[in-house]
Amino acid sequence: MGRYGYIVLFFAVLIGPVVARALHNQGQGRETAASGGEKIVIITPHGQEIRNEFRWAFADWHKQKYGTAVELEFLNPGGSSDVRRQLDTIYRAIRESHGGQLPPEDQIDTGIDMVWGGGDFEFNNRLKPLGVLHPLDLSAATMAEVYPQPALAGVKLYDQERDKSGKLLPPRWLGVCLSSFGIIYNPDIYRSLGLPAPRTWKDLTNPRLFGTLSLADPTHSVTAAIAYMMVVQRAMAEAESAFLRQPQIQGKTYGEVRAMPEYKGAIDLGWKEGMRRLVLIAANARFFNDSSTEPPNDVAGGDAAAGTAIDFYARVTVQTVGTERAIFVAPRAATAITPDTIAILYGCHGKQLELANHFIEFILSPEGQRLWILKVGAPGGPREVALHRSPIRQSAYQDRTGWADDLNYFENAGGFNQRGDWMDTFSELPQIWAAAWIDCRDDLLNATRQIMKVQDTVRRDELLFELSDIPVVRQNVDDEIAEEARITADHSQDPDVWRAKQRLNWAAKFSEHYNRIGQEAAEQLTP
Amino acid sequence: MRFSTRAGHRLLSLALYAFFAVCFFWPIARILARGFETQDGSFTLQYVGLIFSDPQLVRGLVNAIGIAFVVTALCLCIAVPLAVLSVRYEFPGRGVLGGLMLAPLVLPPFVGALGVRLLLSRLGPLTVLLGMGGGAGFDWLGRFRAIGIIVVEALHLYPILLLNLQASLAGVDPSMEQAAANLGASRLKVFRRITLPLIRPGIFAGCTLTLIWSFTELGTPLMFGFNTITPVQIFEQITDVADNPLPFALVVVTLGVAVGMYLVGKVLLGRSYDSAATKASVASTPRKLSGLKAVAAWIPFAVVLGLALLPHVSVILTSFSATAQWYRSVLPRHFTLGHYQAALTDDLAIPSVTNSAIYASLATVIAVAVGLGVGIIATRSKLRDRGFIDALSMLPLAVPGLVLAFGYLAISVSLKQKYQNALPIWLNVQEMPVVFLVVAYAARRLPYVVRSVVAGLQQTPVDLELAAANLGAGRMTVLRRITIPLILANLIAGALLAFAFALLEVSDSIILAQKEAYFPITRAILELAQRLGDGVYVASALGVWAMVLLTITLLAANRLLGRKMGAVFRI
Repeated sequence: MGRYGYIVLFFAVLIGPVVARALHNQGQGRETAASGGEKIVIITPHGQEIRNEFRWAFADWHKQKYGTAVELEFLNPGGSSDVRRQLDTIYRAIRESHGGQLPPEDQIDTGIDMVWGGGDFEFNNRLKPLGVLHPLDLSAATMAEVYPQPALAGVKLYDQERDKSGKLLPPRWLGVCLSSFGIIYNPDIYRSLGLPAPRTWKDLTNPRLFGTLSLADPTHSVTAAIAYMMVVQRAMAEAESAFLRQPQIQGKTYGEVRAMPEYKGAIDLGWKEGMRRLVLIAANARFFNDSSTEPPNDVAGGDAAAGTAIDFYARVTVQTVGTERAIFVAPRAATAITPDTIAILYGCHGKQLELANHFIEFILSPEGQRLWILKVGAPGGPREVALHRSPIRQSAYQDRTGWADDLNYFENAGGFNQRGDWMDTFSELPQIWAAAWIDCRDDLLNATRQIMKVQDTVRRDELLFELSDIPVVRQNVDDEIAEEARITADHSQDPDVWRAKQRLNWAAKFSEHYNRIGQEAAEQLTP
Repeated sequence: MRFSTRAGHRLLSLALYAFFAVCFFWPIARILARGFETQDGSFTLQYVGLIFSDPQLVRGLVNAIGIAFVVTALCLCIAVPLAVLSVRYEFPGRGVLGGLMLAPLVLPPFVGALGVRLLLSRLGPLTVLLGMGGGAGFDWLGRFRAIGIIVVEALHLYPILLLNLQASLAGVDPSMEQAAANLGASRLKVFRRITLPLIRPGIFAGCTLTLIWSFTELGTPLMFGFNTITPVQIFEQITDVADNPLPFALVVVTLGVAVGMYLVGKVLLGRSYDSAATKASVASTPRKLSGLKAVAAWIPFAVVLGLALLPHVSVILTSFSATAQWYRSVLPRHFTLGHYQAALTDDLAIPSVTNSAIYASLATVIAVAVGLGVGIIATRSKLRDRGFIDALSMLPLAVPGLVLAFGYLAISVSLKQKYQNALPIWLNVQEMPVVFLVVAYAARRLPYVVRSVVAGLQQTPVDLELAAANLGAGRMTVLRRITIPLILANLIAGALLAFAFALLEVSDSIILAQKEAYFPITRAILELAQRLGDGVYVASALGVWAMVLLTITLLAANRLLGRKMGAVFRI
């Protein structure tokens, strides 16, 4: 080919798709230009499907209801931790330029009106303390209509902070749809391994699954962290019911029982049992994924026998590859159900605030809620892709015609609720889990491999028990939380350094533990 | 007014310092400060100290350094014979092979990783092909983690070394080797005593890039689930939901190690030597191989290519595979063109193509201009800080892309706060990230241009420039008529690498391009890859398009430059 031939080819390949697309769009009569006029800027980790469907539906709805077309403009810096980091960067800069304080809302312009997506824990425990969420003004009637019950399975559906006098403050975040976290497994691989299908988290502790699980990283996915917390809470609940069945407890009130030191001891043992189960699951992990879409892909592709999965990812995967290669299980009485969340950002004012409130009105309306779950083509449904997520508005479940999935968390959430009083250790646990499962991963895997070589099955089980019995008790975590609170209050140490050191300390402790048990197993092998 | 040469160099060096200050130090400092700053803002070395007191982090560093050296050694083993064969011998098909050998460079991120992962998956084509597909298959990625990382990285990175070696070998004056041979030296001895020392700048340039790249490589170990390695440890902690200063301190340590690697390389390989003795005025005539010898020459190329192109083949097959139809089989069970149509009608895919082409072209122009400046200072000036300027230009290699990207973001945000609505729209990354993206791409890809230019200048006798100057040519005339034409091949090689990698740049694209209208290709590929259902397939279709465009870029440049390109690729 001549030198000009290559240049022509280069431009043909470069421009070809652009021209082809323009022709295609002309044929289909698709509009490509974004509508001008008013817009709401939303920062979000949500993917293209959700952004597009809500953009189109909201523009139509707004035009119909308020007579003007309003465009949603999205900023998408990555996952929810990236969103938070960006908001932190922006508001930190504003504080720095205003002497350490945020000025009144009408004096700043961040260029971003809302934040959408990330879940209740992220919004409540991470974003709200940054002071970046604007108090929302919703009528009591609307709140009662959308959220007839303020919580589901122990998880709050919207911000319910109270002031010192106990009065409910205006919410700073709202739940807009629901999702749960469960197990996705590949029946084909399970058959090959000769294992029965998993039903509970405990089934994933089977050492025959070594190297076949694809798990979500608890420090990157709050939803995953809550699911792991449910494993711990489940073990605590089992310990509690065993304790309550004891003869000496009969006749006592629950309050009296809870005051007993033996009760605390029993619950703490349950906590430890939960932590132990998690170590066994982690020892079977092949990967710890940052993105929650990965485990379903690993399972469907045959790379993992089972994995952790958010319900709607799992549902789409099952739909795509069929039930021969993927099945989703919501583990009995240990499913974490969490709301996806939205908030208006501090500094949104005037016309922008009015528009942002319109979007909240839409997303909580019956039309907005149905958009989450309807099939493509159903009246009021999505244009291109079904979103497979569950409405949070309870009344939306009354009519399920045209739904892509027939489910109702409000009916199925029973069995076991997340216990608020057992969430005390949660703020520190992801760090400890990461130290035990990810930072010391090589040591954990080596020790497990050594143990699996032990022929004597009784001794092998003993060693596995010892391995999973990592040197941490509930009291350690409680102490750590208290210590952190003290340090933050009295400024005696830099909390960041302290936290970083803690994780390193834990990792060193766990590493030593794994190596010691691995050594014990190796000694069993040498005759 | 005419400046003296020294004043001219000083002026140029000041301009370069200004570029580095604005484009590297400002963003890096904004972020790295977190590694040295306590919560109340006072200075601390505690975090850096913490790193060395932690066995896991130390092990991560040891692993990262170890793997980097092994990868570089393996790249040398691959690249040296290939470079010698392609420059010194003539055999049928040499031209085609030469182009194909650069193929690993055109593998787009995400889909490239997906390709490798699919290939090596438990029930994937390799397992089935080897008859191990029964039962639960074989876990290649899980079983051979360290070896897997080394092989995959070496097969991805050898072209960098190959390009540099080819350029250097082509620049070796054949009369030197002939003289040695005439004096009775064996062919091996000539290679060891004459050729190797003469191509040392090329080895240094290539090895430094490969070493630092593999030391900071994140994607491959992440794909293999190998956590005890510094880049993954940084990534894990920087993207952690909790605020943690440790990763920033770890970045500081990474920077230190990378600079150390650069300096060690410079001491061992990069000593300046008498440049008057090098740069061939005539190229050596390649020896013709035919028959069995030509076939034998093909073997190393075929082996390396066969392995290096597997991910590409995997991406191409994925793009044509019907959704979920590649499972427990060597090839997909059903084929379709549907994913290309889906990519074509996607709202993000095609506009991202145009965006990327614009960003990458602009970035390349900037990188070449700055790279040429650095090269001139480093090799032609007598400034005392010339080595320092050269080293500075290598810094972006050692800074994780995420850090630089967050740095730019922080700058834009603080400018916005300071100037509010008076800030021009192009300095507001949330409104229009073009300028930031172009600068980020240029800064990140500068080292390739610099190494390439410096290698060229070191091999070009300064006498030619002095002669032109003596004959009354102005400095710009010398640059335009003598220096640039003499190093054009190196310049083009650097520019091509810069363009190709800018097109495939990940971190900046993700952090800085947040508005759909400005999405570059990599961002669109990521977005598509995460789409549920057919995402991976549609992303692969877009990935295939990117591979085709990059391949044509390389071929077009090769053709446009004619023989001058030959000095680089020498095929």
